[in-house]
Amino acid sequence: MDHPATVRCEDLWFSYPGQSPVLRGISLQVPEGAFWAIFGPSGAGKTTLMKCLAGLLRPQRGQIALLGHAVNGNGLPGWLRLKVGYIPQQLGLVRGLTALENVLLGSLGRNGGLGSILGAFPKDEVERAREYLALLGIGQKAREKAYRLSGGERQRVAIARTLLQGPRIIFADEFVSDLDLPRATQILTTLRELGQRQRLTFVMNLHEVEVTHQVADQALVLKAGCLVHQGPARELSTADLLAILQ
Amino acid sequence: MRKELLVLLTLLGLLAASLAQLGFFDLARLERGARNLLEFSRGMVPPDLGILPLAGRALLETLQMAFVGTTLGFLLALPLGILGTRILFPRTVVVPARLLMAGIRTIPSLLWAVLLVIVVGLGPLAGTLALAAYTVGYLGKLYAEFFDGVDPEVIEAVRGAGASRLHLARFVLWPESANSVLSQLLFMFEYNIRVSSILGFVGAGGIGFYMYVYVNSLEYQRLATLLALIFLLVLGMDLASAWLRRRYLLRT
Repeated sequence: MDHPATVRCEDLWFSYPGQSPVLRGISLQVPEGAFWAIFGPSGAGKTTLMKCLAGLLRPQRGQIALLGHAVNGNGLPGWLRLKVGYIPQQLGLVRGLTALENVLLGSLGRNGGLGSILGAFPKDEVERAREYLALLGIGQKAREKAYRLSGGERQRVAIARTLLQGPRIIFADEFVSDLDLPRATQILTTLRELGQRQRLTFVMNLHEVEVTHQVADQALVLKAGCLVHQGPARELSTADLLAILQ
Repeated sequence: MRKELLVLLTLLGLLAASLAQLGFFDLARLERGARNLLEFSRGMVPPDLGILPLAGRALLETLQMAFVGTTLGFLLALPLGILGTRILFPRTVVVPARLLMAGIRTIPSLLWAVLLVIVVGLGPLAGTLALAAYTVGYLGKLYAEFFDGVDPEVIEAVRGAGASRLHLARFVLWPESANSVLSQLLFMFEYNIRVSSILGFVGAGGIGFYMYVYVNSLEYQRLATLLALIFLLVLGMDLASAWLRRRYLLRT
């Protein structure tokens, strides 16, 4: 399959002020509709890479293009921002809102009117939000406040919010780390199917190699800011990962 | 250890010097004061309950002043606090908003009342506006601090979904800090009730006007009735706000 690269970066370097580089010359091209997983120990630069790619951090060197549009680091233009979903490690949910309200925040880019300010969202948006919650297995928790949800439930709310945004690319930072293996695999499989139907591109940081075998196309390994491995996900075992990271 | 002792001794020295300068070691004067206090207290009993209808009306006016002043102040403090939020607005917006609030806060409510009596004339309107002014400065600053304390990752995540600043204020800042915002609003209301009871001293309405009159005409029995009523009002308000906090604000 020869799809144009949806996410593309070349020779990416990033360092936080006064510190040594966190990313050292990363280059990658993610084709449309792909499902990529990035592994690496803490401090390897996974979150920083994700934030740079999503336009949240400005790299000191290198180029990034999303959907063919060059990103210059001053944030993404409005239209592109809506096409790029980002699920942060801490999920970024509003604790005092319900699961459904949190999901509906994903539609704010389309609903800027007075109605949304007053908390009245269009009926079809509410229905879609409910559908996503149901798809992720927490439809019955729609009215529950976010602070009352378990870690795994909150992660699914964050996914649903990002899906409702209607992005073409989703960057997710260790977003299934609170789920057990069967549940994580189930969620990732659901996302994979959804991604294939809607031609969504996923790039995610993950912990468990096993969960990606059935769903991810490519597995990448970061070590000390360098990309040290890239290959088919099903061929990477935990032992391989440990060997790479030795 | 010796350094700490030195600091402690210096502080004690400063305290003693200040006490002496303020007249605390003038025993003859203190003794005279104690006698006056006794006489003053004797003069207050029994309280003159004949002024209850008048005092009741004045108390109601005081309560209205605090209620309206706090509400008006809150309605202005909320948008000003949002404009003073660093994680939402650039410095060109944040700095003027914060300066405005700091400027308002510099002037205490009583001085606001004096100024507003000059501007709008004697009576409760001046007092109410004075309370509103101080409330804007105080609550606005606190709210800006609360909003700045909201997790930036939540702002980032919702902004990423295309939310405008108004959306962020409505859907992130408000629900994330509503408890603190409302809790401080209650505190401000209690504070304004206490303050509004003395604004009458400068002609800005409320029960303070009668307190001023009774103090000057040495009618301590009537003053005692007013003080007892204010005490009951403040106590009632404390109980009511404690109940409100327990019932609505401690659930998250």
